Amino acid sequence: MKIRMDKILREIADQAYYAARLRRNGVQPTRDRVFAEVLGELEANGDAMRFVNAKGRIAWKATPRLRDYLQDLELEAEEDLEHEF
Amino acid sequence: MHGPEPVTIPLSTEAMRANLLRLEREWEMVQESRDRDAIYGYLTAVFELVVCWAKEGKAVRRACRALYLRRHNSEREPEPFSALIRCTADRGKLDDRMTSKYSRVLRYAAEYKDLDEPLRNFIKRKGGINKCASRFARRLGRGRPDRAGMPRVSRSASPP
Repeated sequence: MKIRMDKILREIADQAYYAARLRRNGVQPTRDRVFAEVLGELEANGDAMRFVNAKGRIAWKATPRLRDYLQDLELEAEEDLEHEF
Repeated sequence: MHGPEPVTIPLSTEAMRANLLRLEREWEMVQESRDRDAIYGYLTAVFELVVCWAKEGKAVRRACRALYLRRHNSEREPEPFSALIRCTADRGKLDDRMTSKYSRVLRYAAEYKDLDEPLRNFIKRKGGINKCASRFARRLGRGRPDRAGMPRVSRSASPP
C-alpha cells in the first residue's frame, strides 16, 4: 500500500510515525498504518483532503484552510524575528 | 498500468462533515466575490471531491450520506455532483435549474477533461459553463442513458 501526499502532509505524517515508534509497546507500527490514521484524523479536522492526481491516482493534500494557517504562522514568525533584531 | 490502487482510507462522518464544510466555505467565497470567475473555485472543489469518490467506487453511496447528513430528501441513487451542490450551496441563491446546469457541466468535464488540465481552463476552452452544459446534454444526457450518470475518472480524451 502506498499513500501519496503533498509535502505539508508528509511532514506531519512523518512526525506522527516517529512519535508512534518512540511510544511503541513491543508492536512496531507500520508506516502506512500510521499514515492512514493520521490522514483520517486530519481529514476529519478539515486539514487534509483526498484528490485524484495528474496520474489518475488517489493522493492527499493539505486543505486551503491548513495552508493559510501555516502561512500565517510563518509570517508571524518572520515578524517576531525582525522585532528581535 | 498504474499498479495496485492503495487501500482506501475510510471516510468518517466527521471527515464527511469537514468536506461539506469546506465546500460551503468555497460557496460563501463565491457569494462574497465580485470576480465572475469565482464560481470556478467552488465547481473545482465539488469536482475534485466527486471524482475522487468515484475513483474509490463510492460516489453514489457517499452522496447519499452527504444528503442524509444535510437532511435533504435522500434518493436511492442520487447524482453525486447535484447532491453535493444541493448540500453545500445556499438554496436561496442557487435554484434547481442552476444546480442541474452545474451538475451537467461537471459530468461533462468528468467524461472528457484531461486529469492535468484545470477545470476552469477546460470549461473556458469548451466555450464556458452554458456551452458545456449543452454539450453534456447532446453527448451524454437524455437519450444516451448508457453514458449518463456516474463520473468516469478522466482519460486523455477529447470530444470531437
